[in-house]
Amino acid sequence: MATPVIMPRLGQSVEDCILAEWKVAPGARVEEGTVLAVIETDKASFDLESTAAGTVLELFWEEGDDVPVLANVVAVGEEGEDASDLRPQKETAAPPPAVEAAQVPVTSSDASAPMAPVAVSPGGSSEAGVSPRARKLALHSGIDPETIQGTGPGGRVIERDVEAVLAGRPRLSASAAAAAREGGLEPPNHGKGLAGMALAGDMLEPGAIEGAEVEPVKGIRKLIAERMMQSLSNTAQFTLNSTFDATAIQNYRKRKREEMEDSGGPKITLNDLIAHALIQTLKRHPALNAHFLGDRIARFEEVHLGVAVDTPRGLMVPVLRSVCSKSLEELSVGIKELVKSCLEGTVLPDQLSGGTFTLTNLGMLGIDHFTPVINPPEAAILGVGGISLRPVRGKDGEFTPAECITLSLTIDHQAVDGAPAARFLKDLVDTLENYPGEDAGQKNGEETT
Amino acid sequence: MKYDLAIIGAGPAGYVAAKKAGGAGLKVLLVEGKKLGGVCLNEGCVPSKTLLQAAKTYHHALHGEVFGVEVSDVRFNFEKANAHKTKVMDGMREGIAGLMKKRKVEVAFGKATLSEGRKVTIDGETHEAANILICTGSSPTRPPIPGIDGDNVVDSTGILQLEQLPKSLVVVGGGVIGCEFACFFGSVGVPVTVLEALPEICPTLDPDLAKILRGELAKKNINFHVGAKVEEISESEVKYSVNDESQVAQGDLVLVATGRRPNVENLGLDDLRVDYDERGGIKVDDRCATNVPGVWAAGDVTGRAQLAHAASRMAEVVVHNITGREDRMRYDTIPSVVYTSPEVAVVGLTKEQAEERGLQVTTGKIPMSINARYLAEHPGERGLCKVVIEEGTRRLLGVHMVGGACSEMIFGAATMLETELREEEIDEIVFPHPTTSEVIKDVFMAVR
Repeated sequence: MATPVIMPRLGQSVEDCILAEWKVAPGARVEEGTVLAVIETDKASFDLESTAAGTVLELFWEEGDDVPVLANVVAVGEEGEDASDLRPQKETAAPPPAVEAAQVPVTSSDASAPMAPVAVSPGGSSEAGVSPRARKLALHSGIDPETIQGTGPGGRVIERDVEAVLAGRPRLSASAAAAAREGGLEPPNHGKGLAGMALAGDMLEPGAIEGAEVEPVKGIRKLIAERMMQSLSNTAQFTLNSTFDATAIQNYRKRKREEMEDSGGPKITLNDLIAHALIQTLKRHPALNAHFLGDRIARFEEVHLGVAVDTPRGLMVPVLRSVCSKSLEELSVGIKELVKSCLEGTVLPDQLSGGTFTLTNLGMLGIDHFTPVINPPEAAILGVGGISLRPVRGKDGEFTPAECITLSLTIDHQAVDGAPAARFLKDLVDTLENYPGEDAGQKNGEETT
Repeated sequence: MKYDLAIIGAGPAGYVAAKKAGGAGLKVLLVEGKKLGGVCLNEGCVPSKTLLQAAKTYHHALHGEVFGVEVSDVRFNFEKANAHKTKVMDGMREGIAGLMKKRKVEVAFGKATLSEGRKVTIDGETHEAANILICTGSSPTRPPIPGIDGDNVVDSTGILQLEQLPKSLVVVGGGVIGCEFACFFGSVGVPVTVLEALPEICPTLDPDLAKILRGELAKKNINFHVGAKVEEISESEVKYSVNDESQVAQGDLVLVATGRRPNVENLGLDDLRVDYDERGGIKVDDRCATNVPGVWAAGDVTGRAQLAHAASRMAEVVVHNITGREDRMRYDTIPSVVYTSPEVAVVGLTKEQAEERGLQVTTGKIPMSINARYLAEHPGERGLCKVVIEEGTRRLLGVHMVGGACSEMIFGAATMLETELREEEIDEIVFPHPTTSEVIKDVFMAVR
């Protein structure tokens, strides 16, 4: 009997997922756990695994479709079985919006020929039609006449229009013409063959750009692009930079490492220490631990810390929840687990939302300071730079070199003003320079002196 | 004096570049250290082909009885053959000199030294040029074999200076040059032994072709020993070993034809900071540009496609690029020919080369003897035509021929490759009947 594979509910807040890419075709043999498709929420992308073994009978959706959770996605069963009963009820799709014609001017090399404005518009010419002569010339030249903007009566594609397109293109070799006809490939501006003739190897995928590797914007990249633009267009971003002397946290880290070697605890990193000091400081500055919601500002009691992670699939910002009362060790372990799940692709959608403040660190890549981009609706984000040596004047007035780290705080000026943000940053610098301090020391079971 | 283009070397790259650039109105200086025409005209292609035609004529005279032509008292007069050779070379050289004059190319004889800033010094006189084309060709290699400096040892240049035929000849190296000379001397009655280190002669050829060529040449007084490592050359013999077994080839003359190396020394190239490639040639891109702006290289000096017509094409590409026409080398479509009897002519990829590039291919081959014209003109000679086709697209990737005068029809195959014709289109081309060229059409019937 045919079995459906359904769209899983990937989180409490997830109502539908985009079917980004099919990994199987009808007729494929699958086992339980075989990846059927890549699906995306608005936060990340995931593999949809088969929950049944057998032959793929039918794919119910097309790439790019928004699939409601729990809807049937694929039917798996015995070869030749009928799966029509499992077809999900879909809302009647609205006709796709008309695609704006991309105006691609094509220069005619023949000065006496009238300059026909040529545009490539899918389906644009179908109403007025294509003249037989134009069609014949287009097909002989490996051009789809339906993609040409006509200049004849009512926009009819006439021979002149095809000639204008051809004038802007190189001649095609026999194999290149076949690639255009059969594979839908497009010629480059200048071929590598006889007197600029386009060879089969010169032909480009539609949308390809010569000398560049072109890939569609999809998956995580698309999400990042949308969220970044949304961030920059909906917030008033303002960045403050400050530097702190890292001697205190470096010393503390060394001490912790030695302790941990004996006790087998987590390896504490500078980022863990900065995160810990940041959380302590945020507690004193709730204006920075906030969401700007347009007509309201929410200041949170608890800190839910977003941590920017560089993964092979792109930037991800998992959130470590309720960190105010976490010890340094708990924090370190929590961050490490989140990073690992992002790198392995096992992070859950719910772990990728709900942050109140984000920490991003490019210090290990040799960056001194940078301008972090706010993760809306959060009101602020802290960027951490790398270690550099700076002269510090000691109590005796002598300059000694000290390891310093730059902090870059971007705030949404809609939610916070510059002075309170500067006071927060100064407080954070003081906290880091006097780390672990009294508060933190007690939390971590340190003896206070 | 300031030139648009200074060309160093007047071989098939240099004089073609000069002719084209002069024709395009550039102010051109052509520098030659020896004679106009370079190795090709004076020490290579042209004299060797003249001699090979002499050998062919002699062969026809001797073996005409199959056609009912009975000739007695046939003699080969080497002196007269040489005289014809000299006459052809002189005529060609005069032609080039006339052409240079017509195209207003300044020709300077002497040794050119290049220096930074695109300067060319000839006999103490320094000129500047916006562009420099280096096409100084190549020279025969001299492998480190004991006895190679003996008076009885010649290279491909020296063997063309002979005034008398040797009594017997040993050829070290069964490549194209070795086979062509073996064919000449064998055809005019000199016993020849060819020693080739690799398992087959002409190793760049399709193996089927090389095997047939070896078989046909063996009918002309030529003994082939493949897998032969030459150990020592003495006055009347060459010691070599096959599978570690020592053997001796007798011969009063030894031709060493083990390849050619680019002429890059004493030109001032290091001062120009020109890069070399791993073969020791001047490194060029597909427009024949070196790493130094305004400095170009063409022909054997680049170590690529050591063929006169490849050199000429590279020269054209250089002049096109200098004069603003985008052009680039397409090495895959350059034909190559072995001018033996029978001739070998190939263009494009062999099955092995295509598969190395990850292409899925299929091949077809037919014997030349199914062709009426071939059978009429070459009784008893074996020949073969083989094509390599890409699976799926059915695009022609290579044509490989041995038999008769196939060098004269390989350009047709080159045209098919340049325009990337597929089986479907070639099927509609009309070939005149009866011609040997019909094998190129018929061979597709054998493609599976």
